[in-house]
Amino acid sequence: MAREKVGALIMLLFSMSYGMLATKITLTFLSQQETFTARTMPYALSVLGILLSLAILVLPTADPGGEKSLGEETKGMDWPTAILLVVLMLVFGLTMKWLGFIVASILFLLVGFWILGERRKKLMLFAAIPLVIVLWCLMSLLLGVYIAPGEIFYQMGIL
Amino acid sequence: MWEGMISGMMTGISTTFIPINIGMVLFGCFAGSLIGMLPGLGPITAVALMIPVTYSLEPTTGMVLLAGVYYGAIFGGSTSSILINAPGEAATVATALDGYPLARQGYPGKALAIAAYSSFSGGTIAVVLMMFFAPMLASIATSFQSADYFALMILGLTAVSAFAGRGGVLKALLMVVLGLMLATVGTDQTSGVQRFTFGSLELLDGIEFLLLAMATFALTEALMLVLKRDASSDSFNPKMIGFKSLKVTAKEFKLITPSVLRSSLLGFFVGVLPGAGATLGSFMSYGMERNLAPPEEQKKFGKGSLRGLAAPETGNNAASTGSFVPLLTLGIPGSGTTAVMLGALIAYGIEPGPRMFIERPDVFWGVIMSMYLGNVFLLILNLPLIPYFARLLAIPRNLMVPIILFFSLMGVYLVTFNDFDIMMMVFFCLAAMGLRLMNFPMAPLLLGFILGGLMEDNLRRSLMIYDESMSFMWERPITATINLITIFILTLPLIRLMLSRLKAKK
Repeated sequence: MAREKVGALIMLLFSMSYGMLATKITLTFLSQQETFTARTMPYALSVLGILLSLAILVLPTADPGGEKSLGEETKGMDWPTAILLVVLMLVFGLTMKWLGFIVASILFLLVGFWILGERRKKLMLFAAIPLVIVLWCLMSLLLGVYIAPGEIFYQMGIL
Repeated sequence: MWEGMISGMMTGISTTFIPINIGMVLFGCFAGSLIGMLPGLGPITAVALMIPVTYSLEPTTGMVLLAGVYYGAIFGGSTSSILINAPGEAATVATALDGYPLARQGYPGKALAIAAYSSFSGGTIAVVLMMFFAPMLASIATSFQSADYFALMILGLTAVSAFAGRGGVLKALLMVVLGLMLATVGTDQTSGVQRFTFGSLELLDGIEFLLLAMATFALTEALMLVLKRDASSDSFNPKMIGFKSLKVTAKEFKLITPSVLRSSLLGFFVGVLPGAGATLGSFMSYGMERNLAPPEEQKKFGKGSLRGLAAPETGNNAASTGSFVPLLTLGIPGSGTTAVMLGALIAYGIEPGPRMFIERPDVFWGVIMSMYLGNVFLLILNLPLIPYFARLLAIPRNLMVPIILFFSLMGVYLVTFNDFDIMMMVFFCLAAMGLRLMNFPMAPLLLGFILGGLMEDNLRRSLMIYDESMSFMWERPITATINLITIFILTLPLIRLMLSRLKAKK
């Protein structure tokens, strides 16, 4: 199956779900009497989404780039590294409040470099630490943005 | 009209020529060139990455900075196209057609210098044209009502899709619709009703446009570099260019001057069209020059022709300047990058459109006048600094990708300080990667998302004015004219298809 058809199929399902969810938008008593309510635009968009997805599914693929199958397109791609980076970003988001901006950011960069195959420790430290410290100084000292320290420092009694 | 223009220019000069704004133009050009030069990163990413910086600035200063980043990034993209044949985005693909062969023949410095001169000329000529056309269009647009705006937004969104290329129209339209759908998430501004929030407090204010821009462009571009194992910069040797090789002879200047003039005009007018942008500007300029060139010169196209390099470089810069015209005068972004800038304007609380021309002349004229300065800075800055800038291309991917990811995540986190936003960014990044792998374009999505709220407001207002009837779409002359243009643009791909079939039959 051509990759753009797969995309159209997903978009068709998405548009249908979006339309179904639109029916659940609660309307105030007054707005129920109006022609244009909070549901109107979502309904119209859902219908448009369904029509366009169907058109892509039914009509022949004109774009030469879209004819390839998803398997052909993704063949040979470096999925393990990309997945590790995605996981790293999620972990970064989850630990940010706990570890604080400086520690979480330095760790994020160091682990990111390591995932991508960098093994020169000095270079990794030299790239990560000054970058984070400079950004922190810029935000805190120059722009006056308060960046809260990590909760771990309070729990350990350091702060 | 002339009096208004002169007083506007004076406002622009007095706004631009203050130390902070001059500094921001310089910083914008510098940062834009650096980011745009990184393979895979284009002007949308560069502008999106800079938006958090603008939040602490005055609106004019912020917009001046973003404009500098925009044309800096276009120029930066040309550098990576010429040196390593890795265009940062579609607008600099045509530059690589002749720029890279010229660099391979041993003239990388000459190619970069011609690109710099052409960019400067294209940008400067386009700013002059913009000074005449933007106020004219803005004064006409002051008579526009909600109905006309609604029609204009449909025109803008349709035009983006119509220029998507063969077989791409439906996909671009679908992405516009997806962007509009995402714009409905959050509290409905008029009724106060929650839509698609799933009970989450974080979604009450809707999806932050910066978050979506960063996730769909900066994060996705960086992860695509990893997925595709793009190591184009790893083999680059920055010692290959030096000061001496940047020289362009008088004969060569004479050869490219007519191309530069023609491409400036064509690029500007293509850029003014909503949705066309720098990509079409560069390709059309390249095509025009190839058709106009004498047979001997025509043979050199694609093999290192100076005219083939100067034309798209001039065209993309002129078009990127031209794309500011619909943004500043109508509030309709002409490209993905100007869509991000529109988002920045809205975040400042400025309603883009013809009212901005009257209510915020400092922003309107400040941006225009800063472009003169920006073009001069780009030339002065880039010519001597090219050999040093190019060293950036030698930064290994191992270090570059995590740094891009870090700045993208921080760009959003340091504005909202909300962990949920990082999770949402990752989610949208994964969705965008999936869509890109399935050959769906991302710029129309962003455009739809940014115009979504405005479009719904204008439609609601028009329906209220016209007693809940859609008759304004054909009864009001301005709206009807805009709608006719939209229909024409929508049928363009069909007309092109029919014409090509007719040609094939003959």
